Amino acid sequence: MDVLPFLVTQCLNALSQAALLFFLGCGLTLIFGIMRIVNFAHGAFFMLGAYVGWSAVRLTGNFWLALIAAPLLVGGFGAAFELGILRRLYGRDGHAFLMVTFGLTLVMGEVIRLLWGVEALQVQIPAALSDIVFILDEPFPIYRLFLAGSGIVVGLTIWQFLERTRLGLLIRATSQNAEMVHALGTDVRLVRSAVFGIGCGLAGIGGVLAAPMVTASLGMAPNAVIDTFVIVIIGGMGSFLGSMIGALLVAFVQVFGSYYFPDLAMAFMYLIMLTILVVRPGGLLGKEA
Amino acid sequence: MRTTLAVAALLALMPLGLPPYAMTLLTEALIMGLFAMSLDLMVGYARLISFGHAAAYGLGAYTCGNILLHTDIPLPFAVLLSGLFSGTVSIGVAWVCTQATGVSFSMLTLAFAQLLYAVAFKWTDATGASDGLAGIPRRPGPFGTTFFASKIGFYYLTMACLFGGFLFARALVRSPFGAVLRGIRENEAKTLSLGYNTRLYKIAVVAASYMLGGMAGALYAPFAGFANTELLFWLLSGQVLIMVIVGGTGTLVGPILGAAFFLFVQQQLSIYTDSWALFFGVIFIGFVLFAPQGILGLARRGRPTEQHR
Amino acid sequence: MSLLELRNLTKRYGGIVAVNGVSMTVEPGEVRAVIGPNGAGKTSLFHLITGVVKATEGEVLFDGQRVTAMPAFGRCQLGMSRTFQITALFPEMSARENTSLAAQARDKQRWLPLGGQAVFAEAARRGDAALERLGLTHVAHRPAGLLSHGDQRLLEVAMALAQQPRLLLMDEPTQGLSVEETAQAVEVLGSLFAAGGLTVLLVEHDMEVVFRLATKMTVLHRGTVIADGQPDAVKADPAVQDAYLGGYA
Repeated sequence: MDVLPFLVTQCLNALSQAALLFFLGCGLTLIFGIMRIVNFAHGAFFMLGAYVGWSAVRLTGNFWLALIAAPLLVGGFGAAFELGILRRLYGRDGHAFLMVTFGLTLVMGEVIRLLWGVEALQVQIPAALSDIVFILDEPFPIYRLFLAGSGIVVGLTIWQFLERTRLGLLIRATSQNAEMVHALGTDVRLVRSAVFGIGCGLAGIGGVLAAPMVTASLGMAPNAVIDTFVIVIIGGMGSFLGSMIGALLVAFVQVFGSYYFPDLAMAFMYLIMLTILVVRPGGLLGKEA
Repeated sequence: MRTTLAVAALLALMPLGLPPYAMTLLTEALIMGLFAMSLDLMVGYARLISFGHAAAYGLGAYTCGNILLHTDIPLPFAVLLSGLFSGTVSIGVAWVCTQATGVSFSMLTLAFAQLLYAVAFKWTDATGASDGLAGIPRRPGPFGTTFFASKIGFYYLTMACLFGGFLFARALVRSPFGAVLRGIRENEAKTLSLGYNTRLYKIAVVAASYMLGGMAGALYAPFAGFANTELLFWLLSGQVLIMVIVGGTGTLVGPILGAAFFLFVQQQLSIYTDSWALFFGVIFIGFVLFAPQGILGLARRGRPTEQHR
Repeated sequence: MSLLELRNLTKRYGGIVAVNGVSMTVEPGEVRAVIGPNGAGKTSLFHLITGVVKATEGEVLFDGQRVTAMPAFGRCQLGMSRTFQITALFPEMSARENTSLAAQARDKQRWLPLGGQAVFAEAARRGDAALERLGLTHVAHRPAGLLSHGDQRLLEVAMALAQQPRLLLMDEPTQGLSVEETAQAVEVLGSLFAAGGLTVLLVEHDMEVVFRLATKMTVLHRGTVIADGQPDAVKADPAVQDAYLGGYA
């Protein structure tokens, strides 16, 4: 195999991987940036997205419908959890959230096992995307290109949403001064539920998109949550751009690392994170020490 | 002190009345109790919330496993050595992790444990990779005695480690060192400005915590006869944190009760359902929401608590 | 020899010069106030002296020893004790435990991991004495977080005193207090300083408080020293009038 085609396809691979990680990372960082909540259950929401996606495809036979239904359901569940449980914890120190969401991870893992069973579930790639294209004479799955593209689209959409819309403005304002926003007549509690729901919904999209590639399985949650935290810690908690950079960095390390140093790829990721934290305790773009 | 002795005496009499399977469960509860108590030193006394305490456990277990498999060192010494090794390694870990505070500290500890987990999968010579170390023996000695290799003897060894560890930890938190830790817990910036080099205190308490946690892991290896990567996995770190919180942080005794409670619930629920983790997650969420002070805190509620001094 | 000496101390944040070539001294036994309008660089200067931030240029000397690069806890160990602008206490500990922990920091065996009854006894003795000096003995057993705002401020001073400091550094001691509480605090602090034996450097913007407490004044304006001396002389200085006291005197 020539060097150039190899490099190009591996880079595309890494990009598609980065897109999945970005869905996870930006949801987590959105929630943290605005609510100061570290959502340990983020991986579980990602997993839920994959399973709901599988069911939706089975019921409707339509992947695109699943891609819409799953994030709505997952996001709705997230918002409900914020409303019912997390809301009681405002005013407690940050670790209370970490622990409650850890408990939620256990619960969700078990519920999913009861509902969907222990077998890994395969989601079919939609027909339109199941082909292979040749890039510099190297075969490459279209679905991965689609993933990379959707990462870019969703990233831009969220950015525009935060910058341009009224809800986006409210969200940014709430992250700076919740009391003031509340005093100006907006129900901050609703904003918080919405943000938590949106963050979880993003993880849900990631789950549906990942399902055709990795199958929906019970091991998804822990793997996802750890990768996500690595990304967000590298990029800086609460930084949207940081989560993008973190996702790219981790994806490239994972893809190229597992090709050149298959034994050390995982260790590499942690070493990068540790190095960054020692040099910049708040992450690349984070403000907090 | 009187209560401690009474509990010790009661536990010492257990082998007379309990059937073997119950002794196995009790031994495991004591090991987990030591593990949870060790984490409480960090969580409850210095508000260093570690999400990677499995690192201490796994380090201790693998070290002890290797010592027992490859040397003639007697079991009790192997356990002590493994604890010391784990504590020594942790000084480096703590040096890095204490660069950060708060949630970042938690995540760094998690990353370190996961790093060890990744290493354990690849370093076949020392860990047996995904197969783990099997057939870990209970070496006889010291002085040729085979007592600790027996079921009851091993139980007494575990008990001795738990009580030794408890007395050590209690002395630690009641000492001037412990008073500084409480300062760090309540207001680290102020403690620093009073002239305490808080980072050194934090590193020291992490080392003490890892030493006791390492001893717990070191006991587990010969108890189960094997050591595998599960012992370094984040799920164990989460479980032990649950034990600490459910038992009651900053009490030392609470987390031991929490560990016993955890194992008991797991045992009972697994008779009826294999989804015990579901119930456990719900119980845990309930505790964080409604009783953050834990079982011991609930028991003590209403009674004025005497500050340790 | 001066107890504290600043030589050409400068702090820049990017292009902003917060403290610009400040030189000043604090002599043993004096109560010196650093005053200046908002943004004059008082807080930055305080951070440089206590070691919270590092100087861009210049030197800090404590009792003739260069401490410019020393971290905050090291300077404290040399005998500099401070209070915070926003009261910093251990809210769940009793007042007595607060002062005791402060006093313990001065003990060579403060880190003792086992035993240490003698350390505790000595620390409690010094802490209790400090509580007494500030008239807080009656609240000694109450959790610090439940004390009145005024008492909390005084408790913080007691914690510093329990360390038997050679230099007491106070960052806006009456910040956030009501008019009555301020009057009370000034009363207590005034008699404390009058009893002698303390060297104090305080940063304060409330002029009334400064004139009641200080024996010497340094006026900062835009990061530089524009006047230094006896309060009355400083008050009469036209440059000071111009920069700061304009509306006041």
